[in-house]
Amino acid sequence: MNIHATPQRTPAETAFVDAFGDRLTQLPGDPAVMVKRDGAIEQVKAGLPTRRIESWHYTDLRRLLTSVADFDAAASTTALAPLIEGSKVLTLANGVSVDDKAALDGVSVVRLSEKLVDGSFAPALDLYGSDDAIGAVNSAFVADGYFVDIADGIELEQPLELQNLQGGAQSHVRLPVRAGKGVKATIVERQTGTGAATVSCVSQLLIGDDAEITWVIVQEQPDTATHVAQFKAEIGANAKLRLFFMNAGGKLVRQEVIVKAAGEGAEFTMRGVNLLSGDAHTDVTMVLDHAVPNTSSTELVRNIVTGRAKGVFQGRINVHQYAQKTDAKMACNTLLLSDDAEFSTKPELEIFADDVQCGHGATVTEIDRTHLFYLMARGIEEKAARGLLVKAFLAEVIEEMEDEPLVEALEAKLNDWFETHV
Amino acid sequence: MPAVQETIEQVRKIDVDQYKYGFESFIEMDKAPKGLSEDTVRFISAKKGEPAWMLEWRLEAYRRWLTLEEPNWARVDYPKIDFQDIYYYAAPKSTPGPTSLDEVDPEILKVYEKLGIPLKEQEILAGVQKPVEDTEEANDNVYKSGRVAVDAVFDSVSVVTTFKKELAAAGVIFCSISEAIREHPELVKKYIGSVVPTTDNYYATLNSAVFTDGSFVFVPKGVRCPMELSTYFRINEKNTGQFERTLIICEEGAYVSYLEGCTAPQRDENQLHAAVVELVALDDAEIKYSTVQNWYPGDAQGKGGIYNFVTKRGDCRGDRSKISWTQVETGSAITWKYPSCILRGDDSQGEFYSIAVSNGYQQVDSGTKMIHLGKNTRSRIISKGIAAGFSQNTYRGQVSAHRKATNARNFTNCDSLLIGDQCGAHTVPYMEAKNATAQFEHEATTSKISDDQKFYVMQRGIPEEEAIALIVNGFVKEVIQELPMEFAVEAQKLIGISLEGSVG
Repeated sequence: MNIHATPQRTPAETAFVDAFGDRLTQLPGDPAVMVKRDGAIEQVKAGLPTRRIESWHYTDLRRLLTSVADFDAAASTTALAPLIEGSKVLTLANGVSVDDKAALDGVSVVRLSEKLVDGSFAPALDLYGSDDAIGAVNSAFVADGYFVDIADGIELEQPLELQNLQGGAQSHVRLPVRAGKGVKATIVERQTGTGAATVSCVSQLLIGDDAEITWVIVQEQPDTATHVAQFKAEIGANAKLRLFFMNAGGKLVRQEVIVKAAGEGAEFTMRGVNLLSGDAHTDVTMVLDHAVPNTSSTELVRNIVTGRAKGVFQGRINVHQYAQKTDAKMACNTLLLSDDAEFSTKPELEIFADDVQCGHGATVTEIDRTHLFYLMARGIEEKAARGLLVKAFLAEVIEEMEDEPLVEALEAKLNDWFETHV
Repeated sequence: MPAVQETIEQVRKIDVDQYKYGFESFIEMDKAPKGLSEDTVRFISAKKGEPAWMLEWRLEAYRRWLTLEEPNWARVDYPKIDFQDIYYYAAPKSTPGPTSLDEVDPEILKVYEKLGIPLKEQEILAGVQKPVEDTEEANDNVYKSGRVAVDAVFDSVSVVTTFKKELAAAGVIFCSISEAIREHPELVKKYIGSVVPTTDNYYATLNSAVFTDGSFVFVPKGVRCPMELSTYFRINEKNTGQFERTLIICEEGAYVSYLEGCTAPQRDENQLHAAVVELVALDDAEIKYSTVQNWYPGDAQGKGGIYNFVTKRGDCRGDRSKISWTQVETGSAITWKYPSCILRGDDSQGEFYSIAVSNGYQQVDSGTKMIHLGKNTRSRIISKGIAAGFSQNTYRGQVSAHRKATNARNFTNCDSLLIGDQCGAHTVPYMEAKNATAQFEHEATTSKISDDQKFYVMQRGIPEEEAIALIVNGFVKEVIQELPMEFAVEAQKLIGISLEGSVG
């Protein structure tokens, strides 16, 4: 059980450690940044997390990450049409920014490599904790990304789309966004590519007071790729963050969501769908901190699992002692569609304040037979009836986004996935 | 409002450190030398007159224990335990196995009397009654008089077991585990360690090496145990650890209801209690296991109290078997306890009903595990946590369905109530479904007693404290209902006591 053993380095761990030595001279950064990189690679050297590490209990990264793709800056990537027509697109190909800095009014965009070279980005490379393996790998290797700054009071009419494309090699990027006071914006994060890529991406969002941000993550990596990502956000007073994510690909996927309601009156809404098939292992782990009084949050995640896929949802709501009048609700519903599908969930509540309303619910089940019977009794054949029920189960979450072009685009993605995977 | 202030003052006087069972009794004890080594294990085994295989089993566990590390995943915080600073064996001196109450040290009997466990009365009552030949008639009698057979465990040894003869007539074996090892070695050998193996976890392994006593229950095929069985554990001696081991076996179609109660004197230092409970239910058998845990919780500053590290597990080995755990946890400085059910037999059922009340500086990390292995297995978890004072109250539970556990069904409900703004309530459920036909539902809520509720009750002329007690009782009712009568009343009183002083 808890017997001590000194582990030998796995091929993946070796690949990271060796690659760091090889690439050290090419990695951008002033001394402050390089110190952070050193610290991060030390954590990788100590070993990737195993199931013994509580936050990685269902995703034993050390065992699951069997190989790591090589670096290849010249790998070919295919251009991607934006999710919503008319969006302003900023593309990263193989971990390198390709778009000009030219941006929208009131929005400044800087290549992250410049921020690394001048060292101003160093503090943001800090790790989240001793179990922050994604942060460690990313901080060690991150070479580029976009630094987006939206000035106070700006309301973007069109979404800003950040595309991270990877052509089967390895890349590590960051997408820091600062939204000033009263900003209204929709930001779409696209994660896709070809081949057996290894990708890490850390998005960092800072939301000013009274701002309203919608952030949409669409992850459609190929079924051979490893995708580990973090979405970190801090919400200011009376500001709103609506986060939507769709995981529709990847072989080994871990999406971490780390959100802090930092200002009074902050509101966080998370909606997500995980579509798992084949041999995919997809893990969504959320840590939500209610740090001040009068904040609220609701989270709803729906999963469908088919084939031999394994899904994980871990959600932890921390209510700090000072954070009275917190209202937090979390739900995770899963449909298992095949005999070999698996799903594990761990919804946690950690509550140190007494005047709060917190709840969570979780279900794992198959399609309700009475629902199926109802539809089939009306002459709909079983396959179609199942399809209807599953789509309705997922669409319910998407429709809550209330933004018509966005809902349409996401539903189209859902239909695409069904056509190719079920 | 001066009236409220008055209540607060009054309540402050009867704060958590007013532990009712905190008295200490001075009884001459026979102890093993302090500390843990192979010699300690041999000493205990020799004291108990155990056969060689038992000693070997203990030694193997001890050697295994040396290689293990203390688990640290639970949300409890305590200074490192010095395992060499504990007495592993302490027994009242006069007892080379008492055969009747007359041979028991009257001081010990006094202890149990003070605790409200009338061993003597019951024994006398039993003696007065004519032995009844017909078992069915006997059954009727039992329910009328509501008698309970008691096994009293004092520090390391069982001092007395009541109603033995009557139970024997029904074929039920109810005795201390040391006696069982001597008298029924074949049964013990067959089942001990089969649910909680010696390699299971740090504390269970330690227990396997040094367990001193505990209860043994064997209900043969088709027998419905004619009365409630009960064990009262009492830690009395200073610096001793209590390591009891309980083994309950229900053969095909048998039924037993077993109750467990525990108390300890009030002391400044912490005492260790690491028990193992194993339940085995064969085809169609049912075991109902109820606990009212009221170890000394420490004083208002969090000083002293029992460290309660317990491994409890039931194995629904047979088809259609059922194991039900009901627990009321109000004591202990630290509770680390996860009564579990392994639902191995097809159509087997597991249930877990729990109330965990924490006040002062108590830390509770408790919950259950429902492991669904067989087809059509069902489990139900109802957990109610109440945190007050500076306490931390965590529910940690696991529900899993194995690949072959077709139609596994679970319903979990864990609610937490916070009283005061210095305490914490946490919920950590793990759900793992490896079968598509499994149906798992989990819901949890955390809140304080709403002002509306309180207002409604108080508006009817009920004072604040009583209003809270009323609401809390309503909150835990679902679990209290599952307790046998004798315990339900006691439990309700206990919850009242534990929460005293938490208003204001």
